[in-house]
Amino acid sequence: MSREAHLDAVFHALGDRTRRALLARLAKEPSMITELAKPFAMSLPAVSRHIRVLESAGLVTRAVDGRVHQCSLCTKPFETIDAWLAHYRQFWESSLEALANYTETGD
Amino acid sequence: MTALVLVVRRTIRASRERLFDAWTQPEQLKRWWGPKSVVCSDAQVDLKVGGSYRIANRFPDGNVVSISGEFEAVERPHLLVYTWRVGSEAGAAERVSVTFETRGDATEVIVTHERIASAAIRDMHEQGWVGCLDGLAQYLAA
Repeated sequence: MSREAHLDAVFHALGDRTRRALLARLAKEPSMITELAKPFAMSLPAVSRHIRVLESAGLVTRAVDGRVHQCSLCTKPFETIDAWLAHYRQFWESSLEALANYTETGD
Repeated sequence: MTALVLVVRRTIRASRERLFDAWTQPEQLKRWWGPKSVVCSDAQVDLKVGGSYRIANRFPDGNVVSISGEFEAVERPHLLVYTWRVGSEAGAAERVSVTFETRGDATEVIVTHERIASAAIRDMHEQGWVGCLDGLAQYLAA
């Protein structure tokens, strides 16, 4: 997946209240899907679909042991967000440097 | 209240009017716009609220990428707000705000760059769980 596509996937995954709540749960401890589904007024398949979206963004990893699916939070995608921000920080700092050079010389 | 924003500041020894005009006039934009490696090969600016702009960025490899958007606020000499799209990216635009504040005989230029989708991150921050993620925290401005 390209960096842009990955960013899209991450922002898409994070743009949903239920998925953020699922991540908040997983931030505390890895959990089984059945446990994750309990506090939500939705079916197991519906929760499973949300988990798949989080998985495809790389925010959740799933370990399968027999019929038990254990989900864990993965923070690696935040490095992608950091990289996006770092890119623009560099862009703007360099641009303002150029603006200073241009305007301060009275050109 | 927190928001995911990138803020870059620089104090420049020039008047607000000088800087505002340098930022908004095509002929001047071509003289300074972009990082060192980028040449602004063309700039079109319709400087009014709702007006659009397009800036062509030529990279060392010859590639030209346009940045474009519409103005949401045009208040010379202290404020500019515009949407920001890179290339032909579809979907929600990012937003850039530029303020020019007098600091003695100089001006502080403050660029605030935000991505609309970042509201999701802000919500998570309010839930408290990203607080432990180093690196992200520094970008969460109060």
